[in-house]
Amino acid sequence: MTHGLNRYRVAITAGFGLLLLLLAVMVANLAAQMRSLSLAAGDNTQWSIAQLDTEFANLNAILTEQVAEGGLSRDEVRLRIDIALSRVDIINSGRAAEIFGDNAAAARQIAPINAFAEETVALLDAPGGLSEDDLRRIQEMLRDVRQDVRGIAVLGVRLGAEQSEARRAGFARQLLWTAGVAIALLFLMGILLQLLIRLLDRAAQRDRELLTSSRKLASTVAASLDAIVTADSEGRIIGFNSAAESVFGWRRREIIGQKMEDTIIPNRMRQAHRDGMDRYLKTGEPHVVDSGRFELAALRKSGEEFPVELNITTTDVEGQKSFIAYVRDISERKIDEQKLIDARDRAQTMDKAKTRFLTVMSHEIRTPLNGILGVLDLLKTTSLTTQQERYAKIATASSEILLEYVNEALDITRIEGGALQFSPQDFDLQTLMSSLVDVLEPLAREKQLSLSLHVADGMQMRFHADNNRIRQILTNLIGNAIKFTDRGEVKVAVKGIHGPDVTSVRFSVCDTGAGIVPEDQEHVFEDFVSLAEGVGRQRRGDGLGLSIARRIAREMGGDITLDSEAGVGSTFTLILPLHRCDAQTAEPARVHDQGVSAKPGCAVLVVEDNDINRRVLRDMLEGMGHRVEEAVNGADCLEKAAHAPFDVIFMDISMPVMDGIEATRKLRASGGPNAQSEVVGLTAHGVEEYRAPAKQAGMNRFHTKPIRLNALHALFADLGEVTSSDYDDIGDDDVLGELIDVLGAGKVRDTGDAFFAELQAFADDARDARDRADMTALAETAHKLTGAAALLGLNRLEAVLATCEDQARAHDVAAHAKQLVALVDLADVAQARFVRRLERAMAAAVPD
Amino acid sequence: MARIHHSRTLAGLFCFFLAWALPVMAQDALRLQVADGNGDTVTLDYDQLDALPQSEFTTSTIWTDGAVQFSGVPLKVLLDAVQVEGSAVEMIALNDYLVTLPYDELEEDVPLVATRMNGEYMSVRDKGPFWVVFPYDRHWRYRTETKYAQSIWQLTRLNVVD
Repeated sequence: MTHGLNRYRVAITAGFGLLLLLLAVMVANLAAQMRSLSLAAGDNTQWSIAQLDTEFANLNAILTEQVAEGGLSRDEVRLRIDIALSRVDIINSGRAAEIFGDNAAAARQIAPINAFAEETVALLDAPGGLSEDDLRRIQEMLRDVRQDVRGIAVLGVRLGAEQSEARRAGFARQLLWTAGVAIALLFLMGILLQLLIRLLDRAAQRDRELLTSSRKLASTVAASLDAIVTADSEGRIIGFNSAAESVFGWRRREIIGQKMEDTIIPNRMRQAHRDGMDRYLKTGEPHVVDSGRFELAALRKSGEEFPVELNITTTDVEGQKSFIAYVRDISERKIDEQKLIDARDRAQTMDKAKTRFLTVMSHEIRTPLNGILGVLDLLKTTSLTTQQERYAKIATASSEILLEYVNEALDITRIEGGALQFSPQDFDLQTLMSSLVDVLEPLAREKQLSLSLHVADGMQMRFHADNNRIRQILTNLIGNAIKFTDRGEVKVAVKGIHGPDVTSVRFSVCDTGAGIVPEDQEHVFEDFVSLAEGVGRQRRGDGLGLSIARRIAREMGGDITLDSEAGVGSTFTLILPLHRCDAQTAEPARVHDQGVSAKPGCAVLVVEDNDINRRVLRDMLEGMGHRVEEAVNGADCLEKAAHAPFDVIFMDISMPVMDGIEATRKLRASGGPNAQSEVVGLTAHGVEEYRAPAKQAGMNRFHTKPIRLNALHALFADLGEVTSSDYDDIGDDDVLGELIDVLGAGKVRDTGDAFFAELQAFADDARDARDRADMTALAETAHKLTGAAALLGLNRLEAVLATCEDQARAHDVAAHAKQLVALVDLADVAQARFVRRLERAMAAAVPD
Repeated sequence: MARIHHSRTLAGLFCFFLAWALPVMAQDALRLQVADGNGDTVTLDYDQLDALPQSEFTTSTIWTDGAVQFSGVPLKVLLDAVQVEGSAVEMIALNDYLVTLPYDELEEDVPLVATRMNGEYMSVRDKGPFWVVFPYDRHWRYRTETKYAQSIWQLTRLNVVD
């Protein structure tokens, strides 16, 4: 804009300059011409030339008169002649000569005149004066030259007139030129005038626009919700909008002209503000200026400080720097933020409290359960009536259910606390699935449901994962499917997609149950939800199972989804990313004997602060034939252990005065008689939480309470390193342990009981079998029993049953009968041991 | 109204001239007559004119070739010397040519009543004896028609008129 204006200015100035110059030249030229016209040397010259004729005529008259009458003196005559002659000089010199120039006619006529003049002068100047003859002679000559004089006068006038004419024509031309220039000048001035008018119009327009925009700006500033404070380079406030008035409490007229540091900046920040301003003005380096929004404190007129969010920008108007601060009072927001933080903290605290409550409760419940189960175990070793034994069994089963609930609650706290740990191992998917379905099949059969399994071909391979957790999840899903389906079938299918590293395995459990309406589909995964009110309330997995299953699945990187239609059925799908086993290097499961041939007569120290539990444990151990000493806490333990060596020390973890961890550490470090003793940690808390510190402290084993009698037997069996007897049908403890993990001890027992009942029935049937059809039926039954035996880990029984099946199919009645005897014998032994092992496994001993 | 003021010196001169005053003789051609409105006349010869303050300038003219030096008495000085006043002065030549010069146009040294050209007295034949000249080259205002007309030669008489 300025640039454009400058261009106009230059153009206008140049135009005017040019015109003025032209005009000046013209005027000077005209003036010269006018002067030249007014000087008119020619006119006077013409007159002078014309006078020649007059003078000669006068002279002629005088001479004629003189010759005739002689009235004049000689001097008079001479004077007259001289006057006439003086004129001759005129036509020969000066301007007259210029007029005539090279004109031939003029030269012709001038020559006789000059000759006359010469001769006359000669006569006049001749000695002796002027005679009559001289006068006559002059008169004659004068008469002769008169024509030439006349001619030269006329010629002079004509030539002079012509030259004057030429000069006038020149002047006229000059006038025309000047007029032209004047017209051009007018024209140009017109253009310039138009230009000026346009410029003025534009300036006025711009003025209006500027006014409008400044009004808009002013109203924008006034209407802004943010406070806008403007200050000059010295920090003096020059602008303060109405929002600022309400934010800071200052009236506009009060604060204008005051310094920011004296008004709206809190005392503690004033020095920093001054330093910042100085630095900025000196170096121009922005610190807070132009650096976007930031939070700071400001001061109200009432003296209270409040948090603000502000943004400072600068403007540079004609070298005068000013600062514009946009200030937003964020005290409300800060308060809200604080409220939110408080609410979150409260929620977190409550959540922690809940978790802690669950942990503590599980601990607090476990401790008395420990007592109850221990006593019940002891009770069962005494001689009881059948009714008493039944009561003891009910009490034990109920206690076990209670224990499971506690364990589940603990599971939740572990998952939420991130303490859930996985123990991945290699396993065969087909085997896992088959065993699962086999175990659950009796449940389905009870309700006349068909339970089918289909594992896709590509999935019959080994994977590396925590198979116990997978089993736990699937048992829950299949168990629920059976539980909530009254008619039809439950189909279990496994398929998957092999990724580069992992396989996404998809387990689907599809039932033909009542289905779940869409509104409830997500609720089923919540804690303590059971949709089938009043149905099978005593069964496991009603409340927490599904929610735990999903949590575990998610912890494993997978998920459980539900697809259900009311009245048609439900499909629960478990998707898990599983690592494939790269090589078939899976170790054969460790099979070790955990027979009951315990090391007898050990010296045992029981360190336990709870009197009842200590007493129960003592009774159990003494019942097993061990010598037992007691200590009430860690310190007491160290004292007792300092004097006598113990084979085994049962050490409670949580005790007053000195806890078990510390006591163990000291014991190990003491170098005393018990530095190398077997220390078995006991806790009512979860195993996971204390495993690492317990191991670190030097504990050999670690056990959750309640510790059961059979667990104690197993423990001492291990200590005694007594190998298993020849007859141990219970093979892999893991198989049974897993079963118990996933099904619960009660269910496994039920399954086992059902198995042995069937086995009994099979044996009875076999004895009565006579014909071919019987044999075929027997073979079918034997086949089913073989699978069940494998599932329960009764390897010997499985082998005998397989043989029975083969013989039955071969209708080899004799061989079959013989085999039947061995089977019956084996079954009795196996059942007895199964029950024992079940009880022991239920105690969930945790080896290192 | 024009008056002649008689200073003591000029009064004497006046009386002396009066004896030859009229009629105009041939020898009078070399003298200059100055008359006031009342017909009183003073006649001045070369010596008298030379006795007055002199002035000179060099200029070209339209009647001569090249630059010419003129010397003589400025007309204003001359008129002051004879103490005549009026509104104009009529200048008359030997051939009775007459031209009027207003008093207003008189300058201190312009025009000059030249007695000499290039240091020589001028004969009648040579536009003498007295030639009223202007410094034409000095300024264009001296080169006007009027000034040329006022440049009277063979001056013989000055009549001061009211």
